[in-house]
Amino acid sequence: MKNSLWLNPDVKTRRNNMSLIAFCRRVIKGSAMLLLASLCLAVISCAAEKTTDTANPAIRANQLDPPPPTYRTAAVVVKQSGSMPGRPPQRPLSAGVKAASLHSPFADGNCILCHMKQDPNAPGPLLKPVNEICLDCHGDFKEFLNAKFTHGPTLGSCVNCHNPHNSIYPMLLEENISTLCLGCHSDMKAKTTEAHVKHDATIKDKACINCHNPHGANVEHLLVDLPFNLCVTCHGEDDVIDNEGNRLTNFKELLAENKEQHGPVKNKDCSACHNPHGGKYFRLLDKEYPAEFYSPYDPQLYSLCFECHENRVFEEPQTETLTLFRNGTRNLHYLHVNKTERGRTCRACHEVHASQQAHHIREGVPYGSTGWVLKIRYSPTPSGGTCVKNCHDTKSYNNLTAVSEAKK
Amino acid sequence: MKRNFILYFSFTLTLAGIFLFAPLIGAAFLRAATGEIITNVELPTLSGDKQPLLTDAAVNVFVFFKPDHENSQTTLTHLNELEREFAGKPVHWTAVVSDSFEPAEIEAEVKALGFTLPVLIDTGDKLYGHLAVAMTPNIGITDKQHKLIADLPFTKVNYTTVIRGYIRHQLKEISDAELQAILNPPRATMGGNGEEAHRHLKYAGKLFQAGLYEKALENVQTSLVKDPNLAAAHALQGQILSAQGLRDEALKAYDTALKLDPSNETALSGKNDLLNNSKQP
Repeated sequence: MKNSLWLNPDVKTRRNNMSLIAFCRRVIKGSAMLLLASLCLAVISCAAEKTTDTANPAIRANQLDPPPPTYRTAAVVVKQSGSMPGRPPQRPLSAGVKAASLHSPFADGNCILCHMKQDPNAPGPLLKPVNEICLDCHGDFKEFLNAKFTHGPTLGSCVNCHNPHNSIYPMLLEENISTLCLGCHSDMKAKTTEAHVKHDATIKDKACINCHNPHGANVEHLLVDLPFNLCVTCHGEDDVIDNEGNRLTNFKELLAENKEQHGPVKNKDCSACHNPHGGKYFRLLDKEYPAEFYSPYDPQLYSLCFECHENRVFEEPQTETLTLFRNGTRNLHYLHVNKTERGRTCRACHEVHASQQAHHIREGVPYGSTGWVLKIRYSPTPSGGTCVKNCHDTKSYNNLTAVSEAKK
Repeated sequence: MKRNFILYFSFTLTLAGIFLFAPLIGAAFLRAATGEIITNVELPTLSGDKQPLLTDAAVNVFVFFKPDHENSQTTLTHLNELEREFAGKPVHWTAVVSDSFEPAEIEAEVKALGFTLPVLIDTGDKLYGHLAVAMTPNIGITDKQHKLIADLPFTKVNYTTVIRGYIRHQLKEISDAELQAILNPPRATMGGNGEEAHRHLKYAGKLFQAGLYEKALENVQTSLVKDPNLAAAHALQGQILSAQGLRDEALKAYDTALKLDPSNETALSGKNDLLNNSKQP
């Protein structure tokens, strides 16, 4: 009870019994102890505040004076090296800096609509939690905040990404979109910048938000829509050109004309085969896929196809179960593909997106250097099919009872 | 044993005949279309006993997978989570793997993934061949009568969401419309004139409450440019004009609001107040 000086009811009596010097000593000692305790408390509360801020962006956002940038996570690192000149986050741009976007209440000088005071120099605390203020006017965003898939920073606080006053970036963003997103999603930064084959959609126009809704969405990965519906936004037109000048397929048109569609296309899952963020394989393919018509069989080369299709289909010469493309038990997939030299790759017979013929069989194959197309005329039967003379003589197969060589 | 195999094989061939004409649309079971009955089979399990592929649970979920396969691993992980999510509900779960893989390899995989559901061994790929499974992983969902409700080859986006949707629909936890919304989710597009109109309207309301009539009027007019049929904006315009003492213009705005929405309370009471006030001496 050394420090109970101010709490002890008998203090006056005791003080009367003390000499003045002893009393002073006691007071100084007590004050020193209190000062020390206060300092400790201040340090502890400061640390606690810092922890709370890091964990709860909403609390952070509601403070009148925003915490230093180091309180933020990955985005902070970007912010510190970012290009928002001469001001801490969430505050208006410095005088003379030209804003690209301006929030009406701020532009109109109506601090009082969000803050306690109508004083631009000292507007005081916010009227209520920041997201509540934002949603008062931007109520349409409630739809995204209540969507099936939500974004942590958005739920935390709108001002994690937006400046409520003005910004040198569109949409009152604190940084340009890519910098803002990649500040946290650093893995994606590496993917997109190091990709050998790049996707314009990740770079041009609105970058990340060409496909993602950072507020919330009804599709995983905050996609605005199912992948196919998003992809045809660009790839449903005639004039899309790749980086090498090749005209790319108009998929709206292709699918309208070809009703036999590959599973991922039918399931609107372009990302089953393509990596929209870029990668090392041609056409943004996610894994290796033979670009040529002929190739020696190597399972590695078909990594993309074998993500879904069974590799054993191409490795067992006889089967009763692995494929329906067999004559009796003779595996015709194996026969065509599994060769040490001129093995036919998938593209030799199949269209990867859509076709007119059953089993994604393509219309024809290029022959020679003049661009002439050799027609493939395939007709399916309930238990097999026939390929009319083209690459080889007319041949039929039956997966229940083998068609004899003579009949073929 | 041999007799069983012959019986099984003959039955498979008969069923194959039936299923040959099944539509091959977006499916991976080439010999079992959705809506058809799946023949139940009993298969040896990884743990040594035998278990049926399907039970009389309200929902049966089975998955064809293979070890050392990224998409299979993702799927098994998700199924594990879903199994926990539906714990206590009449959902039966099984995973099927070919016996062409070494049991030790399968066991290691299952253990590494923490997969706790029964793993059936498809001896000689008979079940695989019977259904003519074209993809791996592939999930089948049946009802109590073993009717195939969903044939779901792996997708990189929304796979778990769709599986969950089918199960919940079968358990009658969600309606047809809700399932459709899962299969064809609404686009989450930002912006648009309608949204901007509401935004300006809300802002105008705040300005009006703060007594800033000129700015409020400016914003309500912007709102009406974005959406001329927004009754609430016409009603607020009436309120602002009324506060500015522009009685006739206010009445006109209230009338437009009531034409668009006869039950608009702001316009009704605002108009009423103006008319009552004008009657007073």
